Amino acid sequence: MQEATFLVLTALAGGSQHGYGIITDVERISDGRVRLRAGTLYTALERLAADGLIGVDREEIVDNRLRRYYRLTPTGEERLAEEALHLRSNAHAAIERLARIGGVATA
Amino acid sequence: MTDSADLERHYRRLLVFYPKAFREQHEQEVLAVLMAGAADGQRRPRASDCADLLGNAILAHLHQMKLHPSWDYRQVVRKSLAIEARHPRRSIIVRVAVGVWLLALTAFVYTAGPGGWWGALLVPAAALHFYLAYRLRHTLGR
Repeated sequence: MQEATFLVLTALAGGSQHGYGIITDVERISDGRVRLRAGTLYTALERLAADGLIGVDREEIVDNRLRRYYRLTPTGEERLAEEALHLRSNAHAAIERLARIGGVATA
Repeated sequence: MTDSADLERHYRRLLVFYPKAFREQHEQEVLAVLMAGAADGQRRPRASDCADLLGNAILAHLHQMKLHPSWDYRQVVRKSLAIEARHPRRSIIVRVAVGVWLLALTAFVYTAGPGGWWGALLVPAAALHFYLAYRLRHTLGR
């Protein structure tokens, strides 16, 4: 799973959000490292919806424009949990080994 | 015309490069995101947003054609090789023909063209075609 995809799913795990909400949330989650652009975001959303990991929660009209809110599906929750556990175990291994050579303190 | 209307017009023009189905589904959303992310008084699209939109428009077309985008090129290669393996006889002829044609092209570039080392660029490509034909011959033997 690519980092952008992971972060989008993580954003939606906090509740349903619309496009710009996801972008600002992803920026916050990643400490400002990842700022998704509109094209990239909607390519990701299309793919995630096609894979059944996210769905449309509701639609609103704001300033004469359609605003669509997305939410995580149960399948999406499962995939995100799986990926999060993988990342944690990888990170744990890295930190442990680095601690052994005096790189960083064990978390 | 106000700055924001100007900017929106520019962005809308960029979205034309997306497939029709994608535009019908997401155009308003993408515009809303782009406008929400715009700076005060911004009149022109950012270069990075333009590149992002154009690149993702191409991806959307590839996706629509059921082609795998470039980062999945290995799968495309594997699939086409599998298709070839199902019709080995015809594929060998095509591979050898393409290889010979590439070599003929190389010879032509060397003699008639301006010459130079880059004329040999086609030789590895020709060799690859011959190698694939050779591999297909083995599937034929099996």
